[in-house]
Amino acid sequence: MLRDKLAVLSDARFIFALIIALGVAAEFVSGSTVQIWSFVLINVLIAQSINVLTGIAGQISLGHAGFLAIGAYGSALLMKSLGLPLPLSLVAATLMGAAAGWILSFAAGRVREFYLAMMTLGFGMISYEVVREWTGVTGGVAGLPGVPSPALRTLNVFGVNLGEVGYFHLMLGVTAIVLWLLRNFITSPYGRAFFAIHVSEVAAGSIGIPRAGTKREAYTLSAALMGLAGGFYAHLVGYLGPESFHLHRSVEALVMAVVGGLGTLSGPVLGAALFTYLPEQLQFFTDYQFMVYGLILMLSFVLLPRGLAGLVLPRTRFIKRLTPLRSADADGRGTEAPAAIPARDDETTPLLRVSALAISFLGLRALDDVTLELKPGHILGLVGPNGSGKSTLVNVISGIYRPDAGRVVFEGRDITGLADYRVARLGIIRTFQDPRLVPGFSVRENVLLGAHRLYRQNQLAAAVDWPSALREEKRMLAGADKVIAMAGLSALADSIVRDLPYGDQRMTELARVLLADPRMVLLDEPTAGLSEGELKKLALVLQHLKQQDIAVVLIEHHMEFLRDLVDEVVVLNSGRVIYRGDMAGMYRSAQVIEAYLGGDSHAAAPAGGQGGRDA
Amino acid sequence: MEFTLQLAFAGVCVGSAYALIAMGLSLTFWTTRTLNFGQGSLLMVGAVATVALLGAGVPAVAAVALAIALAGALMVVAERVAIRPLLKSGDSMGWVVSTLGFGLFLQGFVAKFYGSQAIAFPSLIFTSLDFVDVFGIQVSAQYLAVLTLSVALMVAMEIFLLRSAWGRAVRAVSHDADVAALAGIPVRRVVVLSFVASGALAGVAGVMVAQITGTVDPQFGFNLMVLGFVAAVFGGMGSIVGALVGGIALGVAEKLAGGFISTAFGDAVAFAILMAVLAIRPQGLFGRREMTKV
Repeated sequence: MLRDKLAVLSDARFIFALIIALGVAAEFVSGSTVQIWSFVLINVLIAQSINVLTGIAGQISLGHAGFLAIGAYGSALLMKSLGLPLPLSLVAATLMGAAAGWILSFAAGRVREFYLAMMTLGFGMISYEVVREWTGVTGGVAGLPGVPSPALRTLNVFGVNLGEVGYFHLMLGVTAIVLWLLRNFITSPYGRAFFAIHVSEVAAGSIGIPRAGTKREAYTLSAALMGLAGGFYAHLVGYLGPESFHLHRSVEALVMAVVGGLGTLSGPVLGAALFTYLPEQLQFFTDYQFMVYGLILMLSFVLLPRGLAGLVLPRTRFIKRLTPLRSADADGRGTEAPAAIPARDDETTPLLRVSALAISFLGLRALDDVTLELKPGHILGLVGPNGSGKSTLVNVISGIYRPDAGRVVFEGRDITGLADYRVARLGIIRTFQDPRLVPGFSVRENVLLGAHRLYRQNQLAAAVDWPSALREEKRMLAGADKVIAMAGLSALADSIVRDLPYGDQRMTELARVLLADPRMVLLDEPTAGLSEGELKKLALVLQHLKQQDIAVVLIEHHMEFLRDLVDEVVVLNSGRVIYRGDMAGMYRSAQVIEAYLGGDSHAAAPAGGQGGRDA
Repeated sequence: MEFTLQLAFAGVCVGSAYALIAMGLSLTFWTTRTLNFGQGSLLMVGAVATVALLGAGVPAVAAVALAIALAGALMVVAERVAIRPLLKSGDSMGWVVSTLGFGLFLQGFVAKFYGSQAIAFPSLIFTSLDFVDVFGIQVSAQYLAVLTLSVALMVAMEIFLLRSAWGRAVRAVSHDADVAALAGIPVRRVVVLSFVASGALAGVAGVMVAQITGTVDPQFGFNLMVLGFVAAVFGGMGSIVGALVGGIALGVAEKLAGGFISTAFGDAVAFAILMAVLAIRPQGLFGRREMTKV
């Protein structure tokens, strides 16, 4: 199959050899070829920049040319006016791009979808207007000539004149390093967090990934790449004019990444090469450039949803190729079951204390004076008719909603109104009624997301594959293997979640919860859609959690399932607690019977084994 | 003072055109929660087609009508090719990119076959030298015509949406398309209708603005689309009154900035307003925050 034959293209050794070959070949080919190759490298950086932000972190940008302009004019002016040496001016261009991205992220992080598209479009247009009108600095429409450049023989690095081939070598080396850093980064917890934000910000928050902070990282990283590309571009062409940074440049960046394959590492490289060569080789392409770009953008999402890379190259991995660490210190985080601690009933102080919680939506009382407690190692069943406030309660505890009144205290600490990702970092991990996984990730990659709150490495260590970061990753991989086995998914660990049946997806989510090493787990209807066998596995997992002294809140309609597991049941109706106690008492409670059946009835309340689902 | 008032008045007039563009964007937003990022090119097509038809000897009224019909028809194509296939992914990135591509294609097409140079747009009703005296201020008749026509069209649309069966159907689809379908409303036809109307409004706005600017080129319309969007979000996406207030406020701000600082600043100010409005109050001044169910 073609894909297997082309797998070599994304092999590290092949890429290394290719880079060396290109570097050597540049000495022997014509000047115009070196020029085209140089443009390919710049376009690789540009395409990767948009890929990091749009393809990986899911934040669309239609104004990326703005960052390119900042880097280009920044580097050109610093060198031309202040006489900064090339390495410093390139670093400065990268940092200026990064700073611009960081600033933009504060505004852009507040909007999503097409609002974000419009905002970034506005950013691009403002950048263009500034470049065009700030004549004193940028030269305005007349442009900025005389930028030190190898073609003009005016580019000196520490006294050595840099020719076109030398400049190409410099760009090749830097681009190779950048790609290496990028690969390390996207296979690290930070890179995976980008994808988690892309798919669902709420789900990302529930495993301790901050949405604003992660988006800020994505914008900063993406804009830094664009700034660097701008710096390279300025010196390659030696002349800057505003028209190089108009909308069409942003569109071109998008076209390269989309056609190459968003969300992959190899795709943007393919796209960059393709769209540097096409206009050079085909007169037709140059004549009809706008129409061709328009058609590509219009049709590629339908015809080529995963780009060329998705068509011909192996899937991009989001985990480093490492052997899981199986030594003793691998289990320092407690995935190994400690000696079973019997649940101590009265002596233990509650882990969670919810008092007088109230919240309304548009005047509708969703929770009203809800008070409950939960001890470590206890399982609490949360029962009630549809719309009774069960999910709302879980949403308040996990920090998604801020209550109007009342307090949530966890381990003696007031966490009322704390952001969801902070709640998750304290060890309160939840699931949703529908599994919220990254569909394009494998089971293992999804499960590993759960460990996000446990990672201690920083972004820099992740990007350079620092030994301690790799050790940590190996430990996490070992932990992931263990919980995957516990969830019965070992055979599917490398399957893509999108292709798995619903039950397996739910079990994947459960494994993700386990890997997070939680103190308390909130499960929203975990039995829905599970087979008989999976139900048994779920019950085993819950008992395992109980043995480890982890508290569990279980929203369930499946009464038979609850009966054998829970220590206590709380029944909600119209946002109020109408019953608290054991299961047997629940069936006798007049209020519960009324809530479920309405008015006087002789039948037992929540019918065992069946139940609807909340909307 | 007179200068300021003249600027403000010009701002009100162009602002009403922005509001009209905003209304075109809102129409499709109501029925499908999407909007055409290539709307600017439809404005351009409306204006360029008018010039082309006039040049071919078609009488003015027919030329304008045909151009507007063409813009409406192109929107049917956009819906079919660039929006409907991408709706099922649930992600807005697909249709944002594809409608942008649709607009670029039209822009490239016109640039290829009519040249990328600006072409003169003939005066249809008044010339740019016709002035009317309003409360002692000399007011361009063309600007006044734009204001009158925009407001009249918007009022007509509002009445149509509130009173007619089709208008009620649009509102029903906007509220919940599935329920509307169950109630026997031909959802597909309502959606297509909203796109035709959106394109036709873009065509009208294109002809009107070209009348003021005097020239059109392939890039004509792009900035106008963004400005129309600013007007739309300013008042809250989908609100007609909001769009009118937003459009006029934007027009006035732009003209004043252009008149007192530099004409080049006009656009930059508008884009800065766009970013500020989105960052501070994405739901707009009149809109209510959309509840997201978790």
